[in-house]
Amino acid sequence: MTSRMPFVRVPAVLAQLEALRKSVEPRAQRAVAMVRARWLFRDVQSLGHNVAAYGPLSVHNAGEMVLGDRLTFVGGMLPSSLVCHAGALLTIGEETQFNYGVSLEAWKSVSVGARCMFASFVRLGDRDGHHTAPIVIEDDVWVAHGAIIMPGVRVGTRSVVAAGSIVTQDVPPDTLAMGNPARNMSLELVARDTGS
Amino acid sequence: MTPLRQSLSRELGGLLSRLKLRRCQEVGDSPTVLGRVWIHGAGRVHVGSRVVLDGRLAPIELHAMSSDSLIILGDDVAIEGGASLEALSSITVGPGARLGAFIKAMDNQHHPLRGNRHERPPSVPMVIAEGVTVGSRAILLPGAQLQKGCTVAPGTVISRKIPAGVTVGGAPARVLRREVTG
Repeated sequence: MTSRMPFVRVPAVLAQLEALRKSVEPRAQRAVAMVRARWLFRDVQSLGHNVAAYGPLSVHNAGEMVLGDRLTFVGGMLPSSLVCHAGALLTIGEETQFNYGVSLEAWKSVSVGARCMFASFVRLGDRDGHHTAPIVIEDDVWVAHGAIIMPGVRVGTRSVVAAGSIVTQDVPPDTLAMGNPARNMSLELVARDTGS
Repeated sequence: MTPLRQSLSRELGGLLSRLKLRRCQEVGDSPTVLGRVWIHGAGRVHVGSRVVLDGRLAPIELHAMSSDSLIILGDDVAIEGGASLEALSSITVGPGARLGAFIKAMDNQHHPLRGNRHERPPSVPMVIAEGVTVGSRAILLPGAQLQKGCTVAPGTVISRKIPAGVTVGGAPARVLRREVTG
């Protein structure tokens, strides 16, 4: 074929096809993710626009779920799960991102602010077998891999929960919470010390 | 099982393991891959001899993110299911190391603590030395450096250098036991 058409440069065509695939593939994946989110969140009372679920997700809603705009759920080795029991309220603000394996469970009230980031295997549950108390995560919070947030905790704006920590007390704004049980330290001091 | 069928199944298992590791740039002798192994990203993955990757519990993730990132698994490395190695610059696992289930090893924080969360902080190449044992659900953060023969208890979070022959545990990590000499 190539010998008959000497003007067609096969590598150039392949490169062009590769570029086309690179530009089209993310959009196609995003479209599929948005359709999947529509299906998964079909019995959610209030769902924002442009919610995308890039992988499987288990959603169980017996209470009230309020999800904001432009949420992202990333797929991975284990599905994330959102559980809202009867009479409970689960609120998630806009542009919040979830990695795989995140587990959110609301018996009474769990509220997550806008632009938060949840890494893989993060667990939030407002009942621990002893008592039930609402969890509040304010805006711009970053919860790193494998952190567990216990009932009754309020995490302040722009705070960071370090990987693998177990948060049992309130975290003020602009604070790094790390360890088991989590100790709070000012993000101002930590960032100056490590240069990040 | 007759010897013929035994050797046949062993050959087939080896071929299947090599098929699962086809995205790796180098694979040593007789790899054993059970279950699923996800190798993605534009970087290079090198695997030594007699490696055992047991992804039956959950897939093992070897993620060499950018085109110049590198993951090296030495000889006789054993990794359990759900382990996830994310390299932006490099992760080196020494010979004979054992990594437990659902561990996370990353050489980059991916987000700065303050400011614009979309730009990446610099990454720190991670070295896991020879004969290290990492318990399940441990988290190895950038800056973690496990020296020869040390042991990490399950669920430990590490972001600094661990001296040779020491057992560490907890979050934040502290020394549980030093090497008993003699």
